[in-house]
Amino acid sequence: MKTIPDKNILLFKSCLVNVEYPGVESSTKYIFDKMGVEYFIDPNQSCCTGLGHYYDLFDQISTSALSARNFALARKSNHENIVTLCSTCYAIMKKSINLLNSNKKARDEINGILERAGLSHMKYNVGDLDSEKNVFHMVEILYSKVNEIASNIKKDFSNIRIASHHACHYCKVYPEDAITGSRNPMILDEIAAAFGAEVVDWYDFKKATCGAGFSQRFANRDLSLSATADKLMALEGKADLLLHMCPNCQMQLDRYQPVLEKELGRKLNLVHLSVAQMAALGMGADPYKVLGIQTHSVPVEGLLEKIKDI
Amino acid sequence: MNNTKSKTLETQDIINKTRATKKQDSFSTKSGERVGVFICRCGGNISDTVNIQELKSSIDANFVGEFENLCSINCRRHIREEIIDQNLDRVVIAGCSPLTHLKTFQNYADPLNPYMVEMVNIREQCSWVHSDKEKATKKAISLVQAGVEKVKKAKALSKIISRTEKSAAIFGGGISGITAALSLANQGVKVTIIEKNPTIGGFMVKIGKVFSPEKLAEECSLCILNPIINDVINHKNIKIMTKTRLLRAGRRSSYFNLILEKDTSFVHEDRCIACGKCADVCPVEVPDEWNQKMTMRKAIYKPFSQAVPDVYTIDVENCIQCGKCEKVCNMDAIDFKLKSEIISLKSGSVVIATGHESYDLTKRPEYGYGRFDDVISQLDLARILGVNGPTLGKLQKISDGKVPERVVMIQCTGSRDEKTDGKRYCSKVCCMVALKHASIIKDKYPDTEVVICYTDLRTVGMYENYLRYVQDKGIKFIRGRPGEVTKINDKLVVRVEDTLQRKPMEIETDMVVLSEAIEPSEGTMELAKKLNVGLSQDLFIKEKHSKIKPANTDVERIFVCGTAQGPKDITDSVSQANAAAAKVSEQIKCGTEAEPPVAVIKNSLCSHCGKCIEICGFKAVYRDEEYISIDPMACRGCGACAGSCPEGAIEIKGLNDQELFAQMDGLLSDKKEGEVRILAFLDNVGYTAADTIGNNRVTYPESIRIIKIPSINRLMPEHITYAFDHGADGILLAEYPDECMLEAHKAKIQELSDYVASKGIASNKLRFYKAYAPHFRGLAKQFENFNQDMLAEKGK
Amino acid sequence: MLKKGMDHGSKEMVEVIKNDYRASADIGLKRCMQCGLCTSNCPATRHSEYDPREMVKMVLDDNHEILDNPDIWNCFYCYTCQSNCPVNNSPCQVNQILRQKVLLKGGKSQRIYEFLAYGYSYMDFGVGSIPSDFFDELVKDFGEDYLQLKLNLEDIREELGLDDYNLKGNSLNEVKNILIESGFKKKLETFKDAVESKS
Repeated sequence: MKTIPDKNILLFKSCLVNVEYPGVESSTKYIFDKMGVEYFIDPNQSCCTGLGHYYDLFDQISTSALSARNFALARKSNHENIVTLCSTCYAIMKKSINLLNSNKKARDEINGILERAGLSHMKYNVGDLDSEKNVFHMVEILYSKVNEIASNIKKDFSNIRIASHHACHYCKVYPEDAITGSRNPMILDEIAAAFGAEVVDWYDFKKATCGAGFSQRFANRDLSLSATADKLMALEGKADLLLHMCPNCQMQLDRYQPVLEKELGRKLNLVHLSVAQMAALGMGADPYKVLGIQTHSVPVEGLLEKIKDI
Repeated sequence: MNNTKSKTLETQDIINKTRATKKQDSFSTKSGERVGVFICRCGGNISDTVNIQELKSSIDANFVGEFENLCSINCRRHIREEIIDQNLDRVVIAGCSPLTHLKTFQNYADPLNPYMVEMVNIREQCSWVHSDKEKATKKAISLVQAGVEKVKKAKALSKIISRTEKSAAIFGGGISGITAALSLANQGVKVTIIEKNPTIGGFMVKIGKVFSPEKLAEECSLCILNPIINDVINHKNIKIMTKTRLLRAGRRSSYFNLILEKDTSFVHEDRCIACGKCADVCPVEVPDEWNQKMTMRKAIYKPFSQAVPDVYTIDVENCIQCGKCEKVCNMDAIDFKLKSEIISLKSGSVVIATGHESYDLTKRPEYGYGRFDDVISQLDLARILGVNGPTLGKLQKISDGKVPERVVMIQCTGSRDEKTDGKRYCSKVCCMVALKHASIIKDKYPDTEVVICYTDLRTVGMYENYLRYVQDKGIKFIRGRPGEVTKINDKLVVRVEDTLQRKPMEIETDMVVLSEAIEPSEGTMELAKKLNVGLSQDLFIKEKHSKIKPANTDVERIFVCGTAQGPKDITDSVSQANAAAAKVSEQIKCGTEAEPPVAVIKNSLCSHCGKCIEICGFKAVYRDEEYISIDPMACRGCGACAGSCPEGAIEIKGLNDQELFAQMDGLLSDKKEGEVRILAFLDNVGYTAADTIGNNRVTYPESIRIIKIPSINRLMPEHITYAFDHGADGILLAEYPDECMLEAHKAKIQELSDYVASKGIASNKLRFYKAYAPHFRGLAKQFENFNQDMLAEKGK
Repeated sequence: MLKKGMDHGSKEMVEVIKNDYRASADIGLKRCMQCGLCTSNCPATRHSEYDPREMVKMVLDDNHEILDNPDIWNCFYCYTCQSNCPVNNSPCQVNQILRQKVLLKGGKSQRIYEFLAYGYSYMDFGVGSIPSDFFDELVKDFGEDYLQLKLNLEDIREELGLDDYNLKGNSLNEVKNILIESGFKKKLETFKDAVESKS
């Protein structure tokens, strides 16, 4: 397995975590603080553009020029290990580094933009960062510390059936770099198993998209919800909790579950948490002050009642 | 008639005479260098352009003669007579290309050592490529005189005969290994079959039925194989060693020293009568590999009823040594004190017939192998359909024992897949395997529907007949590569697009069969490493040349056959096995003659640094126990090792430095003021291309003077200096970019370029050219351009 | 009957796509063997007429009609096709590039218009957000609680110990300048004008 850092980490802010599930960020900070992971949140970091990129609005050069600026910030603060909370941030960072490292034409173009924008000091040089060695997803840090976290666990998850939703942009854009790959992703299941939960493992549509489809959620609502329904219906009666690693997926499944329940006339009894929220919960974090479950659409309280202290 | 006879006698007489004189050492280099030059008019081909009289009178040699057709049989007598009469000890033939007739003239000059014959090519390199008679004649004189100077420095060499011990070790006891073993044993070669499993027979005994393009039927594989296996067991020249693997190997000049380890099976094979009482009492049950783990066997077991050797064996890993079997054995055959043995085997040749492995289907988890009981592999299905299999030949679902209503086969599982853990290649047999199983199912269970999802049906050659035969039984084909196999309401579902109809679909089915790729086995790779045999990009054993040396590996006297070399069916495996056996036999029977030039190491100078081993792409250089040695059979005499040797311990026999310097001298010494001379050093392919220029009467400037070398690796900076110092205006080095010497070439080109630069010589005076035999016009163009550039330079 | 003339000189679509910055350097587009694996796993195929295999075929055939095909707008950008493709092709990337081509040629202007707010908001705050045009629809779907969440977000974030996330001052200017120099701002305006000038 690849080497996962636990210091010099730039904890990369995510637009959807900011406004939909801020508890994912506070939970990650909670775990990192407890585990002694050294990280920095940079107020000057701009957003990855991922949503806009996949709304077909951003061109690759604009996206990667903004990435280059963030890379320069990471280098300046000596926090070159970028750890994202969102799978799209993860894939966008990797793509930008690869493009900047291997495509001279694109690199020259981007450096030209930075120069004209008065940011010559932020120009990118080949090899400044490495897409395999400098970009990580929060779930990878948790995975690398899973035994430590598990031994600090204060909650009993054994009567909770946990299924996983592995984010596409973590698994499928760079499958070789994804721990447990794209064909049978297990990283979330393995973490859940380490916490003593009953793991659902495989279900139909396990690898399928959440259905958000970036613009599809808005421009093609029915199409988007059909894909979301595939996933939720496959889990009907199989799991109590669906574990997430991407705020966009979490939003799609958590916020639209009540909508689909109404449309399909079914009750799903499935609760959504980010893997960071679950880990923080296990370590004793407050559901409201750390996990931020008050921002969820599907109420989490019922599940919390089933999870007892050890 | 009489006349001829007397002539023959006469010739015989001369030969006898010369043999006598030979003994008096009159042909050694010391005896005075008496050179005879024989000029061929070639029926006008040469004499129409070259003024033979002028050429004849300009050559300084002990004898100069002209002949109409020097290659004709009666000239043989003339040449021999002159050699005797003139007491010649070396000969120059001025005529056609040595590629055409060197052997002929070496034979015609028979009393002389063949390496005392020099051929000067005044046809392809002079009369056929130049039209100006005067210039052509001048060039011919220069070429012939250079030949005379060169041959004066020639040294007599004897051919190197390599002998191979009359024994062979065959790794792998599958159909390929067995075939090669039998062929060799029948030719009197002592053969040892080394098999890692407790029994021989390989995949073929497992698969039940084999397909055949000719008979349009599925035949019983065991019935075909059993008689052959019996021949193997009973053959006095074959020894079978099961549960045995190679620990290490040493290479010697005529054999390999193989150190083998035979794992213990706690059973005295010679005492066991295979009664089976032991297995009855054994309390340990483990999944049975013979049935693809669909049934159980005991820890003491016989892999299958017709297993060879016909003895029980203990699976040491799983045995708990309870001793029950030992007590029950009447033959006293079981002994837990038996240890693994280390065996040393001296073997002239090695044949790698280690076969393949089936693709690990859990690497494509989207198809649900291991997740769903009724997703199985073709090999699993072969066992299920086998009458000696887990269901005694009945097609049953593993989950509930029912006959499936529908079977969906997924082709190319793991094959033709560039993704991680996938195989880029086509596994070649899976289309036929799927058809075979479809055919058997349709015969026995006409109500069961068989659907084959494929990307391309590759039933090449005669197998197309087989495809039609099976199609007629009513198989459904869907042209599309399925994305996943899932389970909905207890039914398997295959998601696939019917690409011909542009119809994505979900096919409900009872059973899914994955056509697993053929992949190189771990054992093969391990063996290759120990034998220093090269692997292909896809990690099979690499053949020396896929077209003309398909059974050779890159190491002399190590051969390969069967699926160890790449995916293939039984027919092709058997052909290749027979080819490998023929190649082994060829070396044993005839010995092999190595032709100079070859490299030779002077052991007294060698410091054992191993640089020569690294640089030799032909793997001719190897380290044996005491020395570094060069296998003359593998050596091409290219000279790369000699160039890399810091001690100067390697000599190239067959083209020594004195010859090279003398030839350069000769080609440059008559150069006039203002004239351009370009030396073209050509390897064999380059030389062939130059000949072809002549054959096609394409012209190029007279300034081009060609020197034949084994490889540009033969040239050292001192040769380059010598040429420039002696008047060369330019040097062209042309060579075929042989794959296995590419690195050495690059290094050589770098070395020579750097050297030229360091001497302050303009870089355009030393040129490199990749020669290809058919692209002779390219070479002619090179000659032309080089000459132009050098003329222009002179003009300045 | 499709007549295939010889089109001299013009660069084929497949080359243009292969060299687009959105395409991976080693994209196996030309090696596509039309096996249909992409289609068999595609969520958009499952619920619409989109067929990634056929899209690639049209690109390989240099058939520009693909640009007018409404189905290409159904791709989810989930990359499932890319992760499995046996020849390392990525219909997902091809789709993104085709959509860029359509938009730059002025097609689908209404659709992109609805997403412009994302771009403007990014220029104002240096952070992405859900386009405001869709907010009402979300509230309709997600209910009053969602509206309350948005109204109380700052309090909730404070309770969670999180700082403000919008860029300010110098950083915001840097981001703006980059987007002006990259031509992004101008592109937004072009997209905007294309719709607003009509109305």
